[in-house]
Amino acid sequence: MSTHLPAPIQVRELLTELLGRDVELSPGAPLAPGPATPATIASYVDDSLQLAALVVCDLPLSAHAGAAIGLVPPDQALAAIADGALTDALAENLYEVLNIAAAMFNVDGAPHVRLHALAPAGGPIDPQLMARALTLGRREDAALTISGYGAGRLSIVLV
Amino acid sequence: MKILIADDSRVMRQIVIRTLRQAGHGGHEIVEAENGADAFSKIAETSPDLVLSDWNMPEMNGIDLLAQLRASGSPVPFGFVTSEGSAEMRQRAESGGALFLIAKPFTPEAFDEALRSTGLV
Repeated sequence: MSTHLPAPIQVRELLTELLGRDVELSPGAPLAPGPATPATIASYVDDSLQLAALVVCDLPLSAHAGAAIGLVPPDQALAAIADGALTDALAENLYEVLNIAAAMFNVDGAPHVRLHALAPAGGPIDPQLMARALTLGRREDAALTISGYGAGRLSIVLV
Repeated sequence: MKILIADDSRVMRQIVIRTLRQAGHGGHEIVEAENGADAFSKIAETSPDLVLSDWNMPEMNGIDLLAQLRASGSPVPFGFVTSEGSAEMRQRAESGGALFLIAKPFTPEAFDEALRSTGLV
């Protein structure tokens, strides 16, 4: 059994329902996090604690999604983007978004995974995770716009 | 009615409260708990009419909270609100004595249906 790679429609439906807002999604280029392009990396493990998948969100998407779930004013997301890092409050909110995102992997017949850790955009990121995030292969790359907030990019990478 | 909401995420507790309101169940008294252990002591102190609990929480998870409540003789109506929505988890919830399991992300309709199924509202 291999980890389920969520389809774009699953991502859109999950975020639409969770954030209570329209979310537009279109195919995007693979995200390449680095010093100039800070990104959040969420790591998901299976029941034997083996790394199974990563979800990578660029700083704009991290800030907009973290703000939207908590009804935080869009200005605060824009301020975090200008600062180059998430605030603790936005990071805490984003944690819950990406915690619930585990449901996208947990379809019938696929191994159960859960969120293990989150490295928020703008903070230190383990180089090994960074390298895994750049893996080409079983992945989904998308550009998203959260209505009332803004746009950003997301990649789902199976490892 | 008094509803205790147990979830380690503050934003998720807010979302549950907001969704209850959107589902037409505003106006209830809400007690918040940060994890299963916190919930267990607050249930003893405040005697809620319904518990809505997350599954994965630090200190004590939701299924252990439910087991401890039943072991202590508490019959408080109990439902899960969790990102774990698999058939196996639903089975574990039901055999532990939970009335329902609402999977995150959820809709106001899912809340309304679950609350009505308890006969409490």
